[in-house]
This record gives sequence, structure tokens and C-alpha cells, in this order.
Amino acid sequence: MKRRMAALFEGGAEALLLFCAFLSVLAVVFITFFVFRSGLPLFRHSSLVEFLFSTDWSPTAEAPHYGVLSFIAGSFYVTILALLIAVPVGLASAVFLTELASGRMARTVRTAIELLAGIPSVVYGLFGIALVTSLTRTFFGGTGYSLLSASLVLAIMTLPTIINVSEVSLRAVPRELKEASLALGATHWQTIVRVLVPAARSGIMAGVILGMGRAIGETMAVLMVGGNAPIMPKGLTEKVRTLTMNIITDMSYATGDHRTALFATGIVLFVFILGLNLAVQFILKRSVSDVGGSAHA
Amino acid sequence: MKKIALVALSLVLAAGAFAQALSGTFTWGGSTTVAPIAFAAIEQFQKDHPGVKISYEATGSGAGVTSLLKGAYSLAGSSAELSQAQKDGGAVATAIGLDGLSVVVNKNVKLANISKADLAKIYHGEITNWKQLGGADAQIVVINRDEASGTYASFYDIFLKSTYADKASAYTKDAVVTKENGEVAAKVTSTPDAIGYVGMAFADQVVKAGGRELMVDGVAPTIANVIAKKYAGSRALYLVTLGAPKAGSVEKAFVDFLLSAKGQALVKASDYIPLPKK
Repeated sequence: MKRRMAALFEGGAEALLLFCAFLSVLAVVFITFFVFRSGLPLFRHSSLVEFLFSTDWSPTAEAPHYGVLSFIAGSFYVTILALLIAVPVGLASAVFLTELASGRMARTVRTAIELLAGIPSVVYGLFGIALVTSLTRTFFGGTGYSLLSASLVLAIMTLPTIINVSEVSLRAVPRELKEASLALGATHWQTIVRVLVPAARSGIMAGVILGMGRAIGETMAVLMVGGNAPIMPKGLTEKVRTLTMNIITDMSYATGDHRTALFATGIVLFVFILGLNLAVQFILKRSVSDVGGSAHA
Repeated sequence: MKKIALVALSLVLAAGAFAQALSGTFTWGGSTTVAPIAFAAIEQFQKDHPGVKISYEATGSGAGVTSLLKGAYSLAGSSAELSQAQKDGGAVATAIGLDGLSVVVNKNVKLANISKADLAKIYHGEITNWKQLGGADAQIVVINRDEASGTYASFYDIFLKSTYADKASAYTKDAVVTKENGEVAAKVTSTPDAIGYVGMAFADQVVKAGGRELMVDGVAPTIANVIAKKYAGSRALYLVTLGAPKAGSVEKAFVDFLLSAKGQALVKASDYIPLPKK
């Protein structure tokens, strides 16, 4: 009798845990389904090609046009520029933390990075308005509300992600590789640059792509410093509007086709992020076999 | 037995009397221009009616009336006249004050007056440099509102409609788009060569922070000029309900409160203009 009860309890507990895990799958399925369902109706009477490749966004005009190319370009530019700034700095910080820092220094830097990771994006936006816009205005001209300001703020926001993942990947490189390199006569610096970082490159790549995902999805901080003009940005000091900014600016009052177009913008965003996440998973899978393989080469 | 019945009856009557008092939780929202008045009035109203809890979300006049028609809000603030579509949907507006839509510029712009035509040209994108108006050789930073804004709609009706018939293409796309009056005020004060339009209460904020309020066609946006309708940017501020405010409802009590002497004093204290006495 007792054994039957125990078995039942075990089965029940397992089923409950399975259900909880399954909730995540359910969430993704629901999000995908409802976003696509709310956004796809736009393409019944509006051309998909026009939506993706036209820069004319005029949803409240007499003859409305829904073209999000300016926003796709905006998201793309802002993300690439942010990564160009954040990846070298982040990688260098990760190398510093794993290889060069003493206990107290490492602890201080790590605390700072954790604090950075916890700051809400609206506070980043406020910081952007208070300091970054005046800096870019003084040194680069323009209004301060620009592609450059948005990228700078985003770079700071993605630093913690890149540093954390790079640090983990660097630590995961087997000690034998480092010891072998040093034993062969390489200096510490040569070991870092030619052995450790290349060995950890898949993990670092995954970190970069995670950072990219965060940058593309960022709404509040870029909204406050980006300028939010629905045009194609023609330079670093020009105003920019990303896909996320477009959704949040218009969502509160949009009706009918305009509202559907915003959901369609969400679909584009969703597809980009889905693609990035699949890339991360693929690269991570390769990195596990990479490091394992090279250690026994 | 009779005593118990008497006590029970008086308790029921007392409960009935409490039920008459206003109570409940309410969500209102809409115009960012009306927001300062709304917040001050709600604070006072909640003190007078302790059972009532009200929140006001400043999302913009258009968004506010849309939410009112959907049933998400039971009262909305609007700084623009209701469109025909909104009226057809059942919205009814009650004026609670006057505003002089002000044009503000950053302190480094050495202009004191602007004509209606020039203002329209700046916002349409025809005039792009301050030197075209006699100022320094600098690119004009145009600060605009998003389309949910009643101030955006009023500005169009007053300054752009006569020359540019289509609202969407009347405004230049090369402008910084902001989501509320406060943001316009902050951006105009901190960005050199900037121009923006705000409700009167926010214009005072800009001036206190070092910016400047412009005269339009030589008329300054003073209280006297707005009441006399001499200032071009004169407009009314409204509270909007679904159908006329129902007697006994919190919405009607609030509208009546704002129209009373105490309420109009709050309108004045928020740096707007009370309704002229008939």
C-alpha cells in the first residue's frame, strides 16, 4: 500500500514539473501565434514588398502607406554601431577579469558590471538625455538626439551581457591549453591572444549575438535619445527611429490598418530575434564540440 | 422585539445614507496638457470624497478619447476639439478652461516674434535655417508631438490647416517626435536652436529654465490676449465623457467640481486660464 502511494506521488510530482517546463513552450507558441495572427491581415490588401522595402511611413494620411524600411535600417544601424563599441570593450574586460586582475580589483569590476546589468532601461534613457546627448552635440554636432547617442547608450547596456558570457567562455577553456602554450615559451599576452581567445571564440560569438538580441529589442532608452523621426538616418548625427520605437510611439492611438501595421512591425522584430536566437543555439552547440575536440587534438 | 426592529431599521437607513456617498476606483486619462489640472483636481477631489480613488494616465488626447470610447477610461481629458468620428462614437466634451498654445524656443534663438505663416513653414519643412528669419546661421531643430496628442491636433487646426490640407503631410518628417508636453519642454530647454509648441503651463516651465516664449503675429500669449481671442493659439481644454455626464456619478461630480469656483481656482493655479464668467 505504501509503495503504491509513493509511486503515485512520484508520478504526480514528475507530471507537475513537466507541466511547469511545458508552460515556457506554451508561452512561446502563444506569443508567436497571436503576434502573427494580429499582424498578418495587413498583407491581405497591402503588399509585403512595399512593407519591407519602402521608406514611406504615413499611416494617417489620406492614402496610407506602411513602409518600415527606415525602421529596419534604424534598428540595424543602431545595433551594429552599439556592438562595434561594446564588443572590443567587453572582450577586453572579460580578458582582464579572467587573466589579469587581482582578487580585489576583479571583485570591484564585477560588482560594477552587475550593477550596470540591473539598471532599468528608462534610467539609461535619463542618463542618455542628461549626459550623452550633450556630449555628442559638443563633439559631433547635430541636435544630440541621434543614431550616435542611441548607439552609445545601447553599447553601455549590452556590455554586461557580453562581458559575462565572454568571461564564462574564457574560463571554460581547458587549463591544459594555457599551460601547454606557456610551457612552449609563449608570453602571457601571446597565450591570451593566440590561444585562449580563439579557443573561446564560439562562446564569445554567442555572447555577442545575445547582446545583439538585447540591443534590437531595446525600446525605452533609444526612444528617449534617438530623435524618433520616421525617416532614413543619413548620418551618425541624424535622427533615427527603430522598429521598437515605431511600435511604442503609435500603439496608444492606432486603429484599424495602422494598428495591424504595428503588429506586422512586431512580426519583423520577432523574426529577426528568432533568427538571432537560432544562430546562438547553433554556435553554442558547435562550441561544445570545438573546445572538447581541440583539447584532445 | 420592537426595539430590535427599530435598531435594525435605523442601521439599514444609515447604511443607505453611506451608500449615497461617492466611492470606487476609477481610471481616467488623456491629454498631457490637461494633466496638471487633472492631478491637482483629483488630489482635492479625493480629499473631499475619501471613498474615491482616481488615477489619471497622461497618454495624449487622442489615445484618451479612444480608450474612453472603448470603455477602458470613464473620463478623458482632451486639449483638442472632438472630431466628428469621436462625436459619432458618443463622446461629449465639457470645456473646463482655456489655454494659449505657446511657441517656445531655446535660449540661444534670438527671435522674439514669429508670423503665423513663418511658423507654418518651419513645421512644414520649408524654412530650415534660423538665418532665413533673421537669426543666426543654424539648422532649426523642430520638435513635434506624436499623433495621439491633442496639442498636435490643435496646432494643426490653428496654424497649418489653412495652407496644408492633409494633416499627415502638413508636418515635416524631419522633426524630433516626443510623447508629451513635458518632454517637449525639456528638449526645447536643453537643445540649442530648438523650437516647439506646448500648453501654457509648460511654457512657464520653459521660461523658468531659461528658454523663451515667442509672440505670434506680434501678440503675446498672455491671459488677457487669450480670453480676448487676440492670441492666435487660443483654445479650450475639455473633459470628455461617454454621453453627457450622468447625475450622481463620480464623473459628473468631478466635472461640476472643476466648473465650480474652487475648481476654476485650481485651473488658474496650474497656470492655465479659468473659463470667462458669462
